[in-house]
Amino acid sequence: MKDKRVYAAIVVALACLLPLGLDEYKLHVVINSLFYVMMASSWNLLAGYTGQVSFAHAAFAGIGAYTSGILSVKAGFNPWAGIVIGMAAAGFVGFLVGVLCLRMGGIYLSLTTLGFSEILRIIITNEYEITRGTMGLQVPALMPVYSKTAYFYIMLGAAVLSLIVIYKMIYSDTGLNFRAVQNDEKAASSLGVDVVRIRVMAFTVSSILAGMAGGFYGHYLLLITPEIPSLDQQFLVLSMAVIGGLGSFVGPILGAFTLEILAEYIRGYGQYHVLVFGLVALAMARFSPRGVMGIVSDYKRRRNQSLIAAGELRG
Amino acid sequence: MNGVVIGVIYALAALGVSLVVGIMNVINFAHGELYILAGYFSFLFADALGWNMYLSLAVAVFLVFLFGIFIEYILIRPTYGNEMYSLILTFILSIVLQNAYLLIFGPYPNKPPTWIKGATEVFGLFFYGNQRLAALVVGAFVITAVFLVIKLTWFGKIVRAASQDREMAELNGVNTLYLNMLSFGLGCALAGAAGVILAPVFPVTPTAGVQVALTAFVVVVLGGMGSLWGCVVGGLVLGLVENLGAAFLSTGYKHIFGFIILILVLLIRPAGLFGRKEI
Repeated sequence: MKDKRVYAAIVVALACLLPLGLDEYKLHVVINSLFYVMMASSWNLLAGYTGQVSFAHAAFAGIGAYTSGILSVKAGFNPWAGIVIGMAAAGFVGFLVGVLCLRMGGIYLSLTTLGFSEILRIIITNEYEITRGTMGLQVPALMPVYSKTAYFYIMLGAAVLSLIVIYKMIYSDTGLNFRAVQNDEKAASSLGVDVVRIRVMAFTVSSILAGMAGGFYGHYLLLITPEIPSLDQQFLVLSMAVIGGLGSFVGPILGAFTLEILAEYIRGYGQYHVLVFGLVALAMARFSPRGVMGIVSDYKRRRNQSLIAAGELRG
Repeated sequence: MNGVVIGVIYALAALGVSLVVGIMNVINFAHGELYILAGYFSFLFADALGWNMYLSLAVAVFLVFLFGIFIEYILIRPTYGNEMYSLILTFILSIVLQNAYLLIFGPYPNKPPTWIKGATEVFGLFFYGNQRLAALVVGAFVITAVFLVIKLTWFGKIVRAASQDREMAELNGVNTLYLNMLSFGLGCALAGAAGVILAPVFPVTPTAGVQVALTAFVVVVLGGMGSLWGCVVGGLVLGLVENLGAAFLSTGYKHIFGFIILILVLLIRPAGLFGRKEI
């Protein structure tokens, strides 16, 4: 526990030095990756730890981004306040959707969230006067003078904040309840775990985190388009978590960085990255359901076992 | 009238989803993409290769059936007992298929040749496209055929037994492995049938499947998961509501009615019209 914290601090400290060695474009890629780290990790909190698949995670990021954007453009709110309100809005809608379908179990959540993100897309493209439709909504920046480096630190701060929230949740009693619900719903409820409450809670928290990620991302891009709450975006987040490793804390972080950087490379050859990631994610989910982190931990266990076996032989 | 035609097609698409849910407890998120696949196949055979129209329809549906069996064998089979992974896998599959279509066929709408040209005067009231009437007739015919198979044949008996109590059916000697494979293939074939019937009316594009699948899911939830009658009633209700509703709101919001219905069902009667309490 102690040295894990030290490692994390070292990683964050090293990350703080990144702007020194990177040009504008590479910094942009890193900022994008940080957005995806927030998205994939909070989606993993839901899917990896309570076993529910939401297809509206990108939609909640969109709610966060559009709420904050519309408030700051039309009502003159400070963008920072807008982001907080956007988080609250995403959390509230997430809570409503959660209460509505989680009584009926996981399949209903997946169906409803898929419908929800499609409806959100339709509303955003149709309400042209408010959202500027597919043209995109131009929003103010978070600071008076636009600076990529400052944005990098803001996004890094937001990512670290949401990772701390997720980490605290996973390794608390609540996190234990999460996994109990995932492993055996009936056994958990017979031991006094309120299954529906736990699920709704996980869904609400992950929606709030998605809303925060979306809010910051929108004010970084300065242009909010229906691309943020799209199903393609949802797919990217999902495959980052699946390839990195569902149910592991580090997996989605690795997945987010790897896939975002790879996407930039593949983009040079055309729009194939979605297809490539899809095929890789299919193979991963099929053959190694716990992703890259699952392969790593299996390898470690096997090596330990063989070391123990070798030790016994010698002894 | 339009509502009834659309409703029948919705019912047909939902029937495939419901069959698979009832037997395997798996939701196929790639259902809409299989609908599109059949549309592309029929376009390819009839238009590009110049085959006989009826032959190309049959081959298209049969190929989708084989593809469904293949998907079940490769992707779905290892996930039994873990519904989360089947949801994730079929969702990824749908995105992969969409992008593959985009790569192969391009973003343009493709349209197989219509079966019958012209329009007919209905009850002396209005003119209605013959193609849509043909879609209505064929759709109703396929639905009836599915019901007959389920109610009357040995296979249907097995299907009903397995969806009522899977373990009991296994104990009585049903090979559920083959049953899963066949019913998943059949579910996909039904999506394909809906696709070939509707493709001449609504041309297929790579992403058109999302709407089809969503509507099918709404119909399944409305009718009750695993209930075949529910699909027919739910499909007709949704078709009529959408068409009446579009008259009051802008057509851009046509699909919002499905979502409103979905929320109402979840609020008032989560098990759906004909649903079992538990699935």
